[in-house]
Amino acid sequence: MVGAMEIYMLLPKTNCKKCGLPTCMAFAVGLLGREKKVDECTPLVEEKKYEAKLKKLREVIAPIENASETGLIIHPEKCFGCGNCVVACPVNVAADPTRCGVGLGPQSDKVILKVEDGVVVCNNLKECRRFGPNKTLCNACTVTCPSKAIEFV
Amino acid sequence: MATCTGCSLLCEDIEAIVTDGGLSHVKNLCRKGHGHFQAVFTERTEPSIDGQKVDLEKAILAAAEILKNAKRPLLYGWSNSTLEAQAAGIRLAEKIGATIDDTSSFCQGLLMERIIAGTIPTCTLDDVRNFADTSIFWGSDPSNSHPRHLSRFSYYPRGDKRQKSYEEERTCIAVDVRKSATAQLCSNYYFRLAPGGDAEFMEAIISVLDGKIPKVADKKKMIELGTLLKKTEYGVIFPGLGMVYSMQDRMDLFERLMARLNEITTFRAIPMVGHYNMRGFNELLREKTGFINRVSFKGGAAAHGPENSVLSAAKSCDAALVIGSDPLSSLPFGTARALSKKPIIAIDPRRSLTTDAAKVVIPSALSGMEAGGTAVRMDGVKIRFEPIIESKRPTDEEILTRIMEAI
Amino acid sequence: MPEEVEVTIVTVRDIFQDEAAKKSRFSLEYEKLSALIVLDKQDMARLAVKDGQKLLVKNDAGSVIIAVKTSADEAHPGLAFMNNSPWSNQLVADSVGECSIPGFKSIKAKLARMEETANVTPITELFSRMKG
Repeated sequence: MVGAMEIYMLLPKTNCKKCGLPTCMAFAVGLLGREKKVDECTPLVEEKKYEAKLKKLREVIAPIENASETGLIIHPEKCFGCGNCVVACPVNVAADPTRCGVGLGPQSDKVILKVEDGVVVCNNLKECRRFGPNKTLCNACTVTCPSKAIEFV
Repeated sequence: MATCTGCSLLCEDIEAIVTDGGLSHVKNLCRKGHGHFQAVFTERTEPSIDGQKVDLEKAILAAAEILKNAKRPLLYGWSNSTLEAQAAGIRLAEKIGATIDDTSSFCQGLLMERIIAGTIPTCTLDDVRNFADTSIFWGSDPSNSHPRHLSRFSYYPRGDKRQKSYEEERTCIAVDVRKSATAQLCSNYYFRLAPGGDAEFMEAIISVLDGKIPKVADKKKMIELGTLLKKTEYGVIFPGLGMVYSMQDRMDLFERLMARLNEITTFRAIPMVGHYNMRGFNELLREKTGFINRVSFKGGAAAHGPENSVLSAAKSCDAALVIGSDPLSSLPFGTARALSKKPIIAIDPRRSLTTDAAKVVIPSALSGMEAGGTAVRMDGVKIRFEPIIESKRPTDEEILTRIMEAI
Repeated sequence: MPEEVEVTIVTVRDIFQDEAAKKSRFSLEYEKLSALIVLDKQDMARLAVKDGQKLLVKNDAGSVIIAVKTSADEAHPGLAFMNNSPWSNQLVADSVGECSIPGFKSIKAKLARMEETANVTPITELFSRMKG
């Protein structure tokens, strides 16, 4: 996953404040946290000399922009379909205790993670403990993954 | 619900919608199982003799003819067939005085022998889920070989006595020559062995359990492991081929380690069987003959020995019936080459090197998907399953029965 | 001049290769995941190879041309990994010990770098070596 420093290196580094933030570094952190959009850096978008940087920035930022609202990213091509996350997710277990709780595939519609067509898929993301005002930094699904197929940005 | 026959976990919670020519929205199949079920639509075999397509009846008659004329026939494979097909296979071997062997012969056989005989204590995977607080993956990497092992049984699920599961109540340990995907999940408890270093490591564990200083480089970590094992309430070791191949004729040492652990607390072992019904064949053959594999019925009575292993018989046989297995891919090249020159009858749902080399190919229905039956999970639990789609292809059992009738 | 390197090959399981095998043993995907040897950085340097380059792997049992990949594990010089397949079995000796189990996980072999244009040994070639 891309870091704030890597993003910063692709910005104009002029601290022009046009984005509303005091420094380019703050903007980089904002991009990483998905509070800012690339287009808010108007010099980067408008000035031709930044063309290459802009292109590269859009590339590195794409996976972050595509991440779900909780910052969850699934890489289906890496997934083993082992269901470790399905069984470890506390929301899944609460939603379907007689199945997820004991290692079986869920039947409830309320679960967040389930395995379909050999790989994990994600639903009901707003139920995730990383969502909303009372969010916690739960990482049950990432630490139990054998192939780093799930991550949070 | 369907049962997956992709490995010996025999997961029974598979849901699939079958539309014409494809599966969609398959729930709960892992990547490996998904590949296994997808295979029903690719590389299917057709009945053939010498590479020429024939009708099924003709192929069956040709197979019967080959076996009838053979003086030293070998019947090999079996671990991807149902118990019903295996029973028919053993009857066929008796009838024609054949040598019969399965994949366990160069796989988990050495360990399975002791498990079935009871000299190494074992338990079911449901016991693991309900009671185990320590799981040891030794020379095994279930994340790759049995993907749902950790989530269904050995680490992540809650069980009767393990409500807090992996978060507080379970520890998993990996003993391996490499930091496998599974070893990465065992974080603090990964023990790296040199290839062939398993026996030495077992000696070291026995040493620390006896309160002696172990003869290993990292003594502190070894003593820590000893303490963890002593504190375990219900431990289970899952030996993979890494351990079995390394131990071979020193398997008594593993027996001794298990006995020593059981003097202190409860420890069980479940071999990481690959194919979905290898254990079923081993149990069935043992019931009939007293041996789990490598049996010859030549002359009537069952004889057992390395000369009846597929490794030897591939060279000494004069015809081979291969069912649900691809020995030409899985045997050492020299042995595979010797076997490929013999008249082979291959019974398989899909194309392989063995079906390509076979004189007679008989297509069969894919168990779990197109054919029902019974199988024995790696832990000895018998599981009965029904097919989820209809198929015109005969089951292994039907094919074997028809060959027998034709003989 | 790159060296010839001697290694012990341990065969392992890989879910992606298993998946490919179950779909088709004759696919390019299966070849890509099977005709592959994983070496640690030191051995890669000794052979002066990068990921994807081809090596001739040979011993008394046989030889194959396969691609090389850098290991993600800690240093393990002299130790190589291959997914179990007809390619690794080309290198497994026929002779067996007391237990009649071949050395699938202890294959001693020599590695040598191939020219850039070399292709991996295709499964059709392995098949014709057998039947020929």
